[in-house]
Amino acid sequence: MHSTAYCQAVEKAANIEVPARGRFIRTILLELERIQSHMLWLGIAGHIIGFDTVLMQSWRIREPVMWICEKITGNRKLLGMNLVGGVRRDIPKEIHPELLQVMDRVDKEVRAILDAVSTDTTLFMRCQNVGILENKDAISYALLGPTSRASGVALDIRVDHPYAAYPEVGCEVIVETGEDIWSRVVVRIKETIESVREIKDALRMMPEGPVIVVIDEPIEPGRVGVSSVEAPRGETHHFVITGEDMRPYRWKARAPTFQNLQGVPIMVAGETVADVPIALGSLDPCFSCTERLETVDVKTGKIKIYTKQELLQLSKQHFSKK
Amino acid sequence: MFKAKFKEAVICFSNPRVTLPYPFGPGAEVGEGYRGKIDVDETKCIACGGCANVCPSRLIRIYDDGEKTRMQFVLDRCTYCARCADVCPEGAIQVTQLFETSTDDKTDLYIEQELYMLTCARCGRCFETENAIDRIPTRRMREGRNFVGASMPHGAPGVRKRGGK
Repeated sequence: MHSTAYCQAVEKAANIEVPARGRFIRTILLELERIQSHMLWLGIAGHIIGFDTVLMQSWRIREPVMWICEKITGNRKLLGMNLVGGVRRDIPKEIHPELLQVMDRVDKEVRAILDAVSTDTTLFMRCQNVGILENKDAISYALLGPTSRASGVALDIRVDHPYAAYPEVGCEVIVETGEDIWSRVVVRIKETIESVREIKDALRMMPEGPVIVVIDEPIEPGRVGVSSVEAPRGETHHFVITGEDMRPYRWKARAPTFQNLQGVPIMVAGETVADVPIALGSLDPCFSCTERLETVDVKTGKIKIYTKQELLQLSKQHFSKK
Repeated sequence: MFKAKFKEAVICFSNPRVTLPYPFGPGAEVGEGYRGKIDVDETKCIACGGCANVCPSRLIRIYDDGEKTRMQFVLDRCTYCARCADVCPEGAIQVTQLFETSTDDKTDLYIEQELYMLTCARCGRCFETENAIDRIPTRRMREGRNFVGASMPHGAPGVRKRGGK
């Protein structure tokens, strides 16, 4: 997902056109990632509220998706399929029936889970009218992805700024207006079902041809590219300035979690302490994506943010002492 | 509520246990094409440096020591992207299905190889590995098959077709 965003940014900077089959394979892999991410989140959310049955079952549903990813790309999670100019491996015809079979099974089982939990009153007690994020707050804090779509904001990069094969495959934006944690659960489960539909359509519509374009001449330094991808948690933006030696001069990625975390204070205001973990967990937070550092002097309360030069200087001092 | 609980119970009981007692028993087998730890065959390597050029974590180091070329694969930083295996023109780098690489000494993962360079008969300088020289077609072959740019190993991919035809 990040690799797609990065490759798209470089492709935009260098005016490289990806072959159609490569774009379709990218879409299929992005949606496979979305399915496994949403299933993982559903399990974690169930675990947080002490409903471990859903953890066991959603992770069991997720596992065949990981296996098919391994079969297509060579790894379960870090797919490593994207290169600037396309994808590395094709999805051969022999894998198509198995992929469709896995998708059918995921579709059936996710629908069964949605059917089972959608009348579970014990679950409602923990999820409904908890962690309320009103529509106006979601807009004013610019929240992203399923978090905002559960508050009635129809925001989806796949529709707003289509990339890869989404113009052809299409995408239905799932919007719920419940504004609570239950809506976020429903949005994610319905998105999983929608992803299954997209993968099936993309497989059917996938044209023949090369999956990667050969880049003959080096990419000029100093070109700028920006690209956006709808990650399972929200929008991901990548900004690239190309540099010498076919390496990036500057690269900035913005992951959605940092943006979404701004909504947590509103969600938890006035709630009981026991509801804080699930309110925070309902964003699907990835804290490694939010690594920002500022130092606070405990005595004076002064906040300092280090520049790149200062950090380099500090690390040089540190290693010269050793 | 009881209806929902009943449906949940049906889902649970209709699916048998899927977890394996790994690591106390055998785990699931990895699929074909799995990108595990890389393995280097020094008898095939021509020291062209293509792998070092594409490695995203820059963990392949090549030292030119005159009469021999030393190659170091510092695999504790490996991200298992297998780009090196993709670009290797001689198939010297292969991905294995080995993924249990945890160790308490990271040097266990290092691979080092030394390739002896041949010396030019005219000027006496060391210039190329034996494998690479073997792959340069002789003049007669060049004339017969019209190899283009096969005088150096970078042009060598055309040469590999020798066995196939």
